[in-house]
Amino acid sequence: MNDNDLYPDVLVIGAGLAGIEASLMLSKAGRKVHLVENTSYTGGTAIKFEEVFSNMECSTCMVAPKQQELLQDKNINLIMLSEIENIGGSSGNFVVKVKKKARYVDLQNCIGCNACFEPCPVSLKNEFEEGLSERKAIYVPCAGALPNVPMIDTEHCIRFKGKKCTACQEACMFDAIDFNQKDEQIELKVGAIIVATGFNIYDPKQVPQYGYGKIDNVYNAFEFERLYASNGPTEGKILIKNGKTPKSVGIIHCVGRDKKGYCSSVCCMYSLKFNHYLTSKIPEVKISEFYTDFCIPGKSHQKFYEKMKNTGTNLIRADNIEIAKKGQGIVIGYNGGNGKQNSATVDMVILAPAIIPRDNTSDLAKILGINVDDYGFFKEEDKNVSSVVSSKPGVFIVGCSQGPKNIQESVSQATAAVGKILSMS
Amino acid sequence: MDRKIGVYICECGPNISEKVDIDRVIQAVSSLNDVAVVERYKLLCSEDGKKFLVEQIKKHGITHLVVAACSPREHQQTFMEICENAGVNPYLFQLANIREQCAWITDDKDKATKKAIRLTKAAISRIRYHAPLEKKQIESNPDVLVIGGGIAGIEASLQLASPDRQVYLVEKTSSLGGMITNFEKTYPDMRPCSEILKQKMDDVDKNDNIKVFTDSEVAELLGFFGNFQVKIKTKAEEIDAVNFDVGAVVLATGSTLFDPQQISQYGYKKFDNVITSLEFEKMNLSGRITLKNGKNPKSVGIIHCVGRDKKGYCSEVCCMYSIKFVRYLKDKLSDVKVSNFYSDLCVPGKSHQQFYEKTQGKNINFIRAESIEITKKGDQLSIKYQDEKGSKNNQVVDMVILSPALEPSSDSSVLSEFTGISQGDGGFFEEEHEKLGPVTTSTEGVYIAGCSQGPKNIPDTIIQAEAVAGKILSSLIPGKKIEPEVKVSHISESFCIGCKTCLDVCSYGCITFNETKKVSVVNEVICRGCGNCVAACPSGAASLKHFTFNQIYQEVKEAVK
Amino acid sequence: MNSYSEKPDNKGAVISAKTSIPDSIKDLLKKAMENDVFDAVLIPMRVPAGDSFVYVLIQDKSLIKDASPFSPIMSVQGAKAVSSITRLGKGNLKIAAIMRPCEIRATVELTKLDQTNLENITLISMDCPGVMPISDFTKEPEKAMKLYDNAIKNLDDKIMRPVCQICDKSSMVSGDLHIGTLGAKKDTFFIISNSQKGKDILDKLGITPKEKIDSWQTKVKTISEEKQKKRKKAHKDLKAQIGGLDNLLDTFSQCINCHNCMRVCPICYCRLCYFDSDNVKHPSEDYLEIAKNKGSIRFSPDTTLFQMGRMMHMSLSCVSCGSCEDVCPMSIPVAQIFSMVADETQGLFDYIAGRDTDEPLPLRTYKEDELHEMEDAHD
Repeated sequence: MNDNDLYPDVLVIGAGLAGIEASLMLSKAGRKVHLVENTSYTGGTAIKFEEVFSNMECSTCMVAPKQQELLQDKNINLIMLSEIENIGGSSGNFVVKVKKKARYVDLQNCIGCNACFEPCPVSLKNEFEEGLSERKAIYVPCAGALPNVPMIDTEHCIRFKGKKCTACQEACMFDAIDFNQKDEQIELKVGAIIVATGFNIYDPKQVPQYGYGKIDNVYNAFEFERLYASNGPTEGKILIKNGKTPKSVGIIHCVGRDKKGYCSSVCCMYSLKFNHYLTSKIPEVKISEFYTDFCIPGKSHQKFYEKMKNTGTNLIRADNIEIAKKGQGIVIGYNGGNGKQNSATVDMVILAPAIIPRDNTSDLAKILGINVDDYGFFKEEDKNVSSVVSSKPGVFIVGCSQGPKNIQESVSQATAAVGKILSMS
Repeated sequence: MDRKIGVYICECGPNISEKVDIDRVIQAVSSLNDVAVVERYKLLCSEDGKKFLVEQIKKHGITHLVVAACSPREHQQTFMEICENAGVNPYLFQLANIREQCAWITDDKDKATKKAIRLTKAAISRIRYHAPLEKKQIESNPDVLVIGGGIAGIEASLQLASPDRQVYLVEKTSSLGGMITNFEKTYPDMRPCSEILKQKMDDVDKNDNIKVFTDSEVAELLGFFGNFQVKIKTKAEEIDAVNFDVGAVVLATGSTLFDPQQISQYGYKKFDNVITSLEFEKMNLSGRITLKNGKNPKSVGIIHCVGRDKKGYCSEVCCMYSIKFVRYLKDKLSDVKVSNFYSDLCVPGKSHQQFYEKTQGKNINFIRAESIEITKKGDQLSIKYQDEKGSKNNQVVDMVILSPALEPSSDSSVLSEFTGISQGDGGFFEEEHEKLGPVTTSTEGVYIAGCSQGPKNIPDTIIQAEAVAGKILSSLIPGKKIEPEVKVSHISESFCIGCKTCLDVCSYGCITFNETKKVSVVNEVICRGCGNCVAACPSGAASLKHFTFNQIYQEVKEAVK
Repeated sequence: MNSYSEKPDNKGAVISAKTSIPDSIKDLLKKAMENDVFDAVLIPMRVPAGDSFVYVLIQDKSLIKDASPFSPIMSVQGAKAVSSITRLGKGNLKIAAIMRPCEIRATVELTKLDQTNLENITLISMDCPGVMPISDFTKEPEKAMKLYDNAIKNLDDKIMRPVCQICDKSSMVSGDLHIGTLGAKKDTFFIISNSQKGKDILDKLGITPKEKIDSWQTKVKTISEEKQKKRKKAHKDLKAQIGGLDNLLDTFSQCINCHNCMRVCPICYCRLCYFDSDNVKHPSEDYLEIAKNKGSIRFSPDTTLFQMGRMMHMSLSCVSCGSCEDVCPMSIPVAQIFSMVADETQGLFDYIAGRDTDEPLPLRTYKEDELHEMEDAHD
C-alpha cells in the first residue's frame, strides 16, 4: 500500500472511560484523535456512580482528572452531540461521515455559570438522573458535567417548536447562546477506529414479577446510584417515596439473567457496593441480598465480600422471586432452596439488572460493517487471538460494547486496542 | 535580578466583577513591594485577553505573573503557556482562584472582596519564592525486557518488536508457551490450544527483533524508566551472563496452582487417583485418561474452589475449566459418570453461561456442596459433602480431580524486589490503580500482564499483554526523549543526615542512598512529586520543587493574617 | 542485625557483691576485658575536678576501678556518646556500654535511624534510680554525692529530676544485658540477658542464668505502677498548666532560642538543624511587616515555632530522658512537656520509643487498619 494513503488519525467512538483512555494514550503517542460522543458530556456511565468497587473510591474524583486532560489535549478533537452516519474505505484509510447536532451554545464563550437555566420555561424529567429530578430545555445533565457547557434540547425547547422565546439568550452575559448554529456534516479521514460505545441496563419491566414500574420504591441500579450520588436528585440522601429513609432494603441480583442467557459479571460486586452505600448512610438499615450464585472473581473482590458480610447483611440464595406491594411496604416472595416459598418484607427494593448492548448497536454495526454476536454485542473475530479485534480489520471493539465487564477490563481493552493500532504502522 | 510582579484581575464578565469590588482589590495590592503593575480585564482567557497579557508582560518587563481569576483546573495551563510565549518561565506564575473559591460561594460583596484581597496577596507572597523550573529531556532506550515466555509474554513481544525496538524474552524453563502448553483445548469454543500457540510461537521464531533466552532468569535489574540495565543468567553452557540495556520491563510470569496438600481433607497425595486440574490436563493431552491401575475411570468427581477460602479470592477460571473437564471426559469416555461439586458457579462473560448450559446431560451432575471430604473406599474414593439443603451425602467415584486456586508464580517476590513494586492482594503484582491502571505499576517503566497481575483466562491475558504493548508503544518512542515531571523532590546534601527514612516511604523507588557521602539522592526522572519524603524527612532535607516550605508558608501566612 | 526482641529470660544470674554493688559491676567488666570479651568499656566517670561526670571509653582496664556506673547526673546522654563512636560505621573494638534504660532506648532509636551501628556494641542497662538536676549537683558536688547515695539506698527519689520522678520505664530492658538491683537479696544483684549476644557474653564470663528473677520482676512492676500513677497525675496537672494557646505561649515565652535542648537531645541528630538554617531567617521587610501589623515583634522570634517544630520532628522517638530540661538556662519544663506529648503521639501507634530494634518507626510503616479516628466522617 502506498504510504501516502495511510491516514494516521484515529476515530474513537464514545467518550466514556474506555474511549477517554484510548484517546489520551493515542495522543501521547503523537496521533491525532477524533473522539465522537453521542451526548453533551464526557465520562460515560462511570460518572453516574458516587463510588466504585472494591475500594469505594469516589468515581467522579477518579474520572475528573482524565476528563480534564481530555479537554485540554490539543491532539484530541472532541466532537459531541454526534453520531456516525457512514463509513467508507478500509483499514488504513477509512473515510467517516459524522453528523453533529448543534449545541446552540458556544463552547468557547460559555464559562459555565448556569445563568441560562433559571429563565427557561420548559421543565421535563432529567434522563441522566433516571427521571428522579427535572431539567430545563437548556441544561447540563448533572452538576460537575464536563465540558461544563449546556446544550439545548430541541425536542422540547419551545423556540424550536415555533414559539418566540429568547429567555436563555437574554440571561447570558457572554454571548454564548447562538440559535443560528447549524447541525454539521463532518468528514474524517482516519486509519483506525475504536468503538467504545458502552452499555445499557436491562429494563426490569420485561420481568413483571419484579414489580418495577408498578410498585413504588422498587429501583433499578442506575436509579439507586443517582439517589446515593452527592450531586444527584436528593444530594445523596437515600429516601423512599414518602420522603422517609428506608429501614430495610432488599437487593435482587441476576435480574434478566435468564432471559439474556449470560452472567453480567459486575452486578454481584456492585450489589455489595450498594450494601456499603446503605450502611454508610443508614447505619441501622437491614439489608437482604437475594442471589443465585455469588460471582466475584478477582484477587481483590472476595475481601470486599467478606467485609460486607460482616455488616450483618442477610445473604439469601433464592429463585422464583416475586415482588408485591403490601401496605406501605414491599413483600419479596422467594424460594430459598429448601423447596418452600418464603417471604421478606422491606421498605425498598433495588434490582441489579443485566448489562445489555446499547439500542443503536446493530445500526452502528451495519454502518461500520462489523458483526454482532447472538447477544447483540459487537462480535470479536477470535478472542483467543484478541478480543478487541472485530470482524473488520482496523475496527476495534472495546469495553462493554464488546461484552459485559468491569472498568478494569474495559480500560485494559481500550489500552490493548491502542497497542494494536500503534503497532500496526 | 529585579523582580517585577504583574497582577491581573479577571472580571470573568459579571461573574467576578459583580461579586467582588475589583477596584478595592487593585488598591490593596498596588502598594506592595515589587508589584510593578495591577490591571483588571474583562475576560483574560479569551483570545483578546491572552494577547493583552502577552503585550503587558513585554511592555512592563514583567518577571513574575499573578492572575486572580477562576480555578487552576480551568486555565492554569492557559496562563502558563502565555508566560512561555512571552518569554517568562511558566513556573513564575501563580493563579489565585477568586471565582470558585470566592465570587461563586457568597452573595456578600464585602466578604467576597476581603477574601479576594487575601487570596491575591497570598499569591503574590508565594510567587516571590518561586524558582524558574526547566523541563528536562532524557535519552531513553526503546528496547523491552519481557520476563516470562507464556502466552502473555509471547503476545507482548510480538506486539512490541520492531526494527527500532528489540525485545528480550526471558523464560526460566526450556521452552516457550507457559501454562497452556499443557491444555488440549480451551473453553468455551473448545479450540485446540496447540493451534493458538503454534502460530504465535512460529511468529516469535521468525521475528529477528525478538531475542529469546530459555533456561534463563534475571540476575540483576538496575536503573529506571528508559534506562534499565539488565543481567541475565542462563543455564546454557557457553554463555555465562548476558548484559543489555532496555527502557521498559514487562512481568509476565504467570501463575501456579495452590497445593491441595495444604488441605488434608481433599486427600491429595494421601490417596491414589486424587489429582489436580493440571495433572488432569496433562493426562488428557496425552490421550489416555486412566487410573493408577491403568484402567479408565467409570466415575469422576470434580471439586471446585479448592483452597479458595485459604487464599481469600475466587480464581475466575476454575468453574469454567471444570466444566471443560466434563467435556473432555465425555468426549473420551462416553459412558463415564461425572459429578462437579461447587459452591458458587462462576461463569461471567457473554458466552460462558451458555457453555455451562450446553454441558448437561446423562451422567452429568452439577452439585452445590460444601464441607467436602475425600476418603478412601476400597479401590475407590468417597466424596463426603453437605448439600444445599444441609443434609450430609456422599458419592463414590474412581477418580477425583481437584480444581485449585491460582497463585502467583514463585519468582514474584524476587522480581518484586528487583523492580520495587509490591505484591498486592493474593501476592500477585500490585497494579498502579485498580480501575484505571491495571497494567502499569508504581515503578514507572515496569509493567505487568496476565496471571502475574491476577487470576484470569486466556483472552483476558492476551488483552493485558496487548495493553502493556499499548502503554510502551505510546510512552517509550524510539528517538523521542522522555520529559520527566518537573515538580519533583530534592534532597539537600547539607541537611541530609542519612537516616534513610525517605527510602522507606518512597512508593516509587526513586530514592537511592549514596554510601560514600551517606546521603539520600532523588532520581528526578522517575520522581512523581508525591511529597511523601518531604513530609517524612526528620531533618527537613527533602523539599518539593514548586512546593517549598517558604512558598507554602508565605502563602498561608498571608492568607490567614 | 541484632535482635532485641526476645523477652528477657525468666531466669537470671545472681551475683554477690563482695564490697559494694558498683564495685562488683566494675570487677565483672574488668574480668570481661581480661578475657577479651570486651576491648573497651563506655561508662560514666567523675571528672578530676570532681564537679561533674562524663562518659569515658576505657581501654586500659586498670582505670575501670575509677568509673561510676551509677552516676548522680546525666551530663552527656549516653546514646550520643555511643552514636558518635559508630556514626560512620561499626568499629573493630568490642565495646560494652553501661547506660541507663532511657539512654539505651535512645541508642536503639538512633540505630533505626542509621546513626548507630550496634554490631560490636553490647548494651548493658541497670535499674535506674533517677538522676539529679545538673545544676543541683554542680553547686555543691560533695553534699550532692552524699544525698544521692542516701537516696539510692532508701529508694527515695525526691532529689531526682521531675521527669525521673515520674519515669515508669526506669527498669525497662531493651539492651543486651540488664543489672537488676531491685528485689535482690542484700548485697547481691541479678544479671539478666535480653538477647543472643547477651547470652553469649554471660557464657564467656562463665555465668549461668539459672536463678528465678520473680522478686526482681515483682519489685519492678510495683515501682513502675506507682510511678505510672504519679505520671498520670503529673501529666494531668501539666496539661492544665500549659493547655490552650495562651498558656502554651506563656510557658515558652522565656525561651531564648539558645537551642541547648536540641543540642543535647540524643534524638536530634541532624547535622544542621532546620531551625539553625537560613530557612528560618527572614528578610527585614518581613520583620517590619509583623511589627507593623502587631504593633511590635520580640527577638529572637520563632521560639515557639522552634519548640513545636522540634517536638514534631522528634516526638515519636522521644525517650523522656530529660537531658533537655537539664540544660535549659531559663528553667522551662521542656522535658516534662515533651515527655507528656511523646506519650500521646507514640500511644497513637502503640509504639514505645526504643523498646525493640526490630520494631519499625511508626512514620515509616503503613497499616491499612489504623488511625481511623483521623478519617473523614461520612455525612
